[in-house]
Amino acid sequence: MTTESDARDELIDLAADFYDQFAAGNIPEMTLPTRTKSNIEYDTESGVWTYGDRTSTRSANSVRGARKLLKAAYTIEFLADQLDEDRSSTLRELYYLSESWDNDEAQFSSQDESNDLVEDLEIVTGVTREDFHMRPEESGATLMGPLLIREQTRRGEREIHCQEDVGAGGYQIPNNPDMIEFLDDDIDFALAVETGGMRDRLVENGFDEEYNCLVIHLKGQPARATRRITKRVHDELDVPIAVFADGDPWSYRIYGSVAYGSIKSAHLSKYLATPEAQFVGIQPEDIVEYDLPADPLSDSDVNALESELDDPRFQTDYWEEQIELQLDIGKKSEQQSLASRGLDFVTDTYLPERLDAMGVI
Amino acid sequence: MTSFQSTIGDEEGIAEELAEGQREISIAEFFEKNKHMLGFDSGARGLVTAVKEAVDNALDATEEAGVLPDIYIEIEEVGDYYRLVIEDNGPGITKEQLPKVFGKLLYGSRFHAREQSRGQQGIGISAAVLYSQLTSGQPAKITSRPKGQSRAQYFELIIDTDTNEPEIKADEETTWDRPHGTRIELEMEANMRARQQLHDYVKHTAVVNPHARLELREPGLDEPLKFERATDELPAETEEIRPHPHGVELGALIKMLEATESYSVSGFLQEEFTRVGKKTADSVIDNFRDVYYGRELAWSPPRAHDDRDVAAAVADAVANKGKAATTAFAEGVAETVAGNDRLSRSELAAIVGNVAENVEGDTGKTFGGTVRENAVDAAWRAITGVDADGDAAGAADDGDGDDAESPLVADAYALVDDATSTRKDDAAVRAMAEALARRFANLDGEAFRIARDDLERLVADAANFVAEQRDATFGETARENVVEAFWSRARTVPDDPPKVKSIAGDRDAAADLLEAMRTTDILAPPTDCLAPITAELVEAGLRKEYDADFYAAATRDAEVHGGDPFIVEAGIAYGGEIPAEGSVELLRFANRVPLVYQRGACATTDVIKSIGWRNYGLDQPGGSGLPNGPAVISIHVASTNVPFTSESKDALANVPAIEDEIELAVREAARELKSYLNKRRSMQQRREKQDVLGKILPEMADKVSEVTGRSRPDIDGALARIMNNVSVEREVDGETVTLVVENHSDVNEQLEITDIVSAEPTDLSDGTVVDMDGEWFVQWKPEVPSGDERELTYAVDGEADFEVSVGGVETEKLTVNA
Repeated sequence: MTTESDARDELIDLAADFYDQFAAGNIPEMTLPTRTKSNIEYDTESGVWTYGDRTSTRSANSVRGARKLLKAAYTIEFLADQLDEDRSSTLRELYYLSESWDNDEAQFSSQDESNDLVEDLEIVTGVTREDFHMRPEESGATLMGPLLIREQTRRGEREIHCQEDVGAGGYQIPNNPDMIEFLDDDIDFALAVETGGMRDRLVENGFDEEYNCLVIHLKGQPARATRRITKRVHDELDVPIAVFADGDPWSYRIYGSVAYGSIKSAHLSKYLATPEAQFVGIQPEDIVEYDLPADPLSDSDVNALESELDDPRFQTDYWEEQIELQLDIGKKSEQQSLASRGLDFVTDTYLPERLDAMGVI
Repeated sequence: MTSFQSTIGDEEGIAEELAEGQREISIAEFFEKNKHMLGFDSGARGLVTAVKEAVDNALDATEEAGVLPDIYIEIEEVGDYYRLVIEDNGPGITKEQLPKVFGKLLYGSRFHAREQSRGQQGIGISAAVLYSQLTSGQPAKITSRPKGQSRAQYFELIIDTDTNEPEIKADEETTWDRPHGTRIELEMEANMRARQQLHDYVKHTAVVNPHARLELREPGLDEPLKFERATDELPAETEEIRPHPHGVELGALIKMLEATESYSVSGFLQEEFTRVGKKTADSVIDNFRDVYYGRELAWSPPRAHDDRDVAAAVADAVANKGKAATTAFAEGVAETVAGNDRLSRSELAAIVGNVAENVEGDTGKTFGGTVRENAVDAAWRAITGVDADGDAAGAADDGDGDDAESPLVADAYALVDDATSTRKDDAAVRAMAEALARRFANLDGEAFRIARDDLERLVADAANFVAEQRDATFGETARENVVEAFWSRARTVPDDPPKVKSIAGDRDAAADLLEAMRTTDILAPPTDCLAPITAELVEAGLRKEYDADFYAAATRDAEVHGGDPFIVEAGIAYGGEIPAEGSVELLRFANRVPLVYQRGACATTDVIKSIGWRNYGLDQPGGSGLPNGPAVISIHVASTNVPFTSESKDALANVPAIEDEIELAVREAARELKSYLNKRRSMQQRREKQDVLGKILPEMADKVSEVTGRSRPDIDGALARIMNNVSVEREVDGETVTLVVENHSDVNEQLEITDIVSAEPTDLSDGTVVDMDGEWFVQWKPEVPSGDERELTYAVDGEADFEVSVGGVETEKLTVNA
């Protein structure tokens, strides 16, 4: 990974590119991969999906383009200063901070705009947001399981055991998971769980202890830090990763971003995605097999499923079969629907059966 | 009313009584009952109408005298009443004319004239006089000074409401400072609640009469409103034209027939109507004969194998002419007859006449009238098989086919069979032919004369008969085809049309003549009876009264409705000082007179509302209705007879032909507006872009130099590239696609433009088109000089997708919006 001064140099280099373009009598521009679904490709070497060859250019030739580049220049200055001072800030803080800039044209009009710009800068400079000291607003995953780590905090090093030293809530990972070091573990596999309710159920039932499992709480669509820690657990501890989510199209995307990378951060897929991660459920097949209580698919669910059929990340036999089955039965189920068979059903029957079938245990 | 009188008039007593009753309605009562129709239904409105009538009159009077109008309008409060004074610089009015012009309802030189003029009914100004007299009791005070006279004449005039006759109360010489002109002073019960309409009327009059100077004083104004003239050009003088045959009505036609000095119909038509010469008169008369007399059905003469022998029949009918002459005559007739495909009795008579002349010349024998008639009868019997008493042989009985069949049946069969669909049962066709033949044989006379409507009835009757008897239907279309088959083969009779005198006395004959006139194709009336304002002056008028950024105007070519020619003109003013809030201002004019009231009932309003104004760059809530924005739309309809919805002449009636022209005129002007607005918009975008970039780029340069710690870069090169740009913009208007290339740079640009279209393009402005598997590549290589623009156009049918790529210009310089 880059060091802080590397990150700063990369930013200054980008500003210098703009400078040189001006000096040569050209109109400044910045070329980026096109960030759409149709421009992500499977990288056979790493097994993740990354941006393809299509690029788009942000040029100061148009009013919109010029405003974007002006904002980029201001943001570069801000980030470079932040790195100089060894401070950090959140994405949301950047958005509000732009209000204090002396130039109205450089201020962000929405947080999406500032988030996108930071992503643009990541892509162009090859430096991650974390190395710019930009934090997301939402916190990352919590971990629960037989794992001993050491975390570098601003207040010194802490050694923490993720089962014995933590409360029922588990260990909260920092925004930059590269600040932690794995010391020791007794993990057979990791289970990434979508919802808090299911995580709590697993912990209450002692699933982590019984199966030597690291329970990672994804908290919905997983933050980058969550995906990063998941990848590190897999790569460094050499354990299989299973993703346990709801049985609906939005949850498949959660799995997709853990396993294959997301469209917006496809430039970081090699760093964030865990292609070996497997999907436990709820599978459409399970809805039928376990006769789970289900809701009918809404129109937007159907659209989402159909758009997943077009999504290169889901073009595998397994997913096509499952999605088509779901469209066929027209139903979706939540993780919690397993409770219809009793509170212990998930830990005593469902997960052992599924994980066994997947070859995880 | 005409028909009412003509039927009731037979009973003398009632007619007398009615006439008696009518006399008892005084003109005052008539006015009272109809004042809403005349525009005097309230004090507020009465004042506006009075001004309107007086100003219209003044404008007409001055223009007719070839004088540039200079009109003064004053309204004063006088106790409980208002005094209205209108002065013009017209020719003045002679003592004899004066009471008639101002004093008698329904007097007017132009009531019957086919000429464009403001007043059409001769009711306007005298109605104002009557209104003032009825409400204030004061006479109309009129001062007139004809050109060249040293003193003016002053009159006071009232209308005797019992007799509708004007009375002059005072008649004295006076002095007046105008060298010539007329001044009328009316006192009336009124109020100024319609001030806005009054001002609108005067202002709009100024717009549409840019050659007139107007001045208005009224109690609410501190300063008089003055409208100066924008041109010294008088409107073109109009020619009075005779009526067009398509534009007269039965009553008018009968009056013309009674009044004409012509003796023959042909002379009458050529003399009294416009666009009728000898040839047109002849076609009208042919049509008239067909309607009035009916046509004679024509029949096939016997063929060689037939046993009907024309020659033998003729020979039998001739006595005492010697064998040689008889044979020559009989064979001559038979031969000529056989040479004709079909014959009517009149044609046969002509043939017999000709042959008789020839034989007389050859043999010296005389074939007199009786002989010829006998010969015609005999030959006609041989051809048609009809007895002298009108019975057709063999057609009378439906039963056995032993009797010789009437030749009419065979003829009718051929025609019916031809005219009806092939699926018709042969027996039914034969039955129809027989039924028709029977009915033809029963027609009066031997010539088979029948008018078209009678023929239609006869065919319908036969069809019904067949339907009953044979259970075979002859539907509407089949009947029409049969009628057409017979009618087109029937012959127009050679009889002379009745004389004018007898038509004038015979209402039915006159109606037949009118129908003949209407069914004949006749050239549209000439248009020199119209005086359009012309597009130029429409624009000048708007320019004069509205301070706008943009003006456009259009004048259409003359068209005709119901025999009256008309011309529509439209003008649009946009932007500037015109208020942007609310809907656009709509100015309506008919024969240069502003229409102030009843905007909602007017055809012009309907047309404006039906146009999709968003297409032309104006805001139109909901996509229909009056558009919004800073615009004035003016519409002028000039005609010898403007169709109004009522006598008060406030709103144009919905005549489709006129509505179409209004729409076309408005669209023509609106297209110019659209291209102006588009251009303005694209200039605005360019300016905005230059403004924003001119600010942002230096700031960005400052920032990057700050971050990199280098001195500020020179950004002039980059700025110059962005500012000198070349733009390509697409406009799609219905099927027409236009790519507008504008070169704002300081060098000439050679572009390569490729437009990929999903539907086949046609009518390329130039360039080439290549078909590539259902996609068409349209290519141009236009050279656009610095500061100039080019339009590249083509047409596509229906919806199409476009994808344009532009080469030959540096991308920084290029703004593509297509």
